[in-house]
Amino acid sequence: MNAQNSIGTALRIQGLSLAYHNRPVLEGFSLTVNRGERVVLTGRSGAGKSTLLRCILGFDRPRGGSIWIFDRELDGETVWPLRQKVGYVQQEADPGEGRVLELLKRPFHYQANRERQFPEKRVRDLFRRFRLSADTLQKEIPDLSGGEKQRVALVAALILDRPLYLLDEITSALDPGSKKAVLEYLGDFQGTIVAVAHDREFARVAHRSVRIPFIRRKD
Amino acid sequence: MSAAIDISPWMLALGYLLLLIPLGLMLALRARLLKKSVAALLRMTVQLVFVGFYLQVIFDLDRWWLNALWLLVMIAVADLSIISGSDLAFRRFLAPVGTSLFAGTLVPLVFFNWIILQLPGIFDAQYFIPIGGMIMGNCLRADIIGIRTFFQSVRNSRKAYFYALAQGASLAEAQRPFFRSAFESALAPTVATMATIGLVSLPGMMTGIIMGGADPATAIKYQIGIMIAIFTGTAMTVYAAITITARTSFTEYGTLKSGLFKEDRRKDKKYRGKNKRSET
Repeated sequence: MNAQNSIGTALRIQGLSLAYHNRPVLEGFSLTVNRGERVVLTGRSGAGKSTLLRCILGFDRPRGGSIWIFDRELDGETVWPLRQKVGYVQQEADPGEGRVLELLKRPFHYQANRERQFPEKRVRDLFRRFRLSADTLQKEIPDLSGGEKQRVALVAALILDRPLYLLDEITSALDPGSKKAVLEYLGDFQGTIVAVAHDREFARVAHRSVRIPFIRRKD
Repeated sequence: MSAAIDISPWMLALGYLLLLIPLGLMLALRARLLKKSVAALLRMTVQLVFVGFYLQVIFDLDRWWLNALWLLVMIAVADLSIISGSDLAFRRFLAPVGTSLFAGTLVPLVFFNWIILQLPGIFDAQYFIPIGGMIMGNCLRADIIGIRTFFQSVRNSRKAYFYALAQGASLAEAQRPFFRSAFESALAPTVATMATIGLVSLPGMMTGIIMGGADPATAIKYQIGIMIAIFTGTAMTVYAAITITARTSFTEYGTLKSGLFKEDRRKDKKYRGKNKRSET
């Protein structure tokens, strides 16, 4: 498979140490992801994969090390503009309440995205592609199934056109048909993707896999 | 109409005889509430005797600074009771909640006494203390609901909150839905009271004014005025309390600071203790 199609670094992690609920999960972890590259993170449950993604967005703070996104170091000041370069789909996505269409439109009211137009046609195309029926747009979010929620959250992230995407187990609740559709889409995707996935099929659309080591507790 | 008839201490003592009925019923049912009820009755009596005593002194002296000081003491006590009654960590919230209680009480109180009642002295004990107390009591209740709902919902709906931040929301934009629902929950009881007032029961202030010798027409005017003051006060205090506490309770990354909740501190302590043991 072709590796990165543009030059430069999208994400650089240096000597990162992390803890989850006070338990150390990563120690001195480093990773560089080039622009246009698709990297899949694997490893045992509890190894710190999701915590790592949250850390890249500044939702969790590392104990040590640094994170660079498009050559800017993440700190309390840069995190706000840098979040606008990152699309994030969390594990067991829970985007809140309200109708799906409102949910998709909401970020376009935020000050940071105000000059963007809500891409209605693209939403309908992505819905078709991910095997979501058009009437899903009118449904209430709590009424969606886990798989529908995952795909809606993915569409919500994709329509923001971010150069870097962090995807946390986004196919875990999908039926085989929808999973295939999502993976096919991601396989042709031009942006940078760092995804956490347990299944091998995801690894097939990635340029490389990185295994996160599991750190045993010392007590 | 005449002013309310005074109750002699002996007659009031006789009034306690009525308690034989509920206490007797509790004994018959072996209700576990008996002990608690007796303690509560004792507390009520002692507290009210004390309050009556120093209110009498304050009313007799009727100095503006003493009346203002009384209100400040009430606000301080209310502030302490809000913080100790909620599951939020004590010190961080004391000053912001006190400030918002002060603003929420003082603005409608001054407006009520100055503009509506046209009192020559707005600190006149007869009006300043009971009206101030009523507004503050409602502000207190609203603040407890508002602050607790806001912080608990940000914490419990962490995913939805992070979701908004990841989609480019500013801190204020991400907080907005939680702020809105906390504000709504805090104001809902006052709104519900206004909607049913007079239908279900006669409100306390109106009853007091009628018993004090005023006619019902005067009483309802006071009641309407006080409800407007309470509604304004609760809206102001909740808005201020959430705004001020939110400003100091989030990290520069937009996440909730640790140690905001009492249970966080306990967990932290527990973890540190564990670590210590594992090191030795």
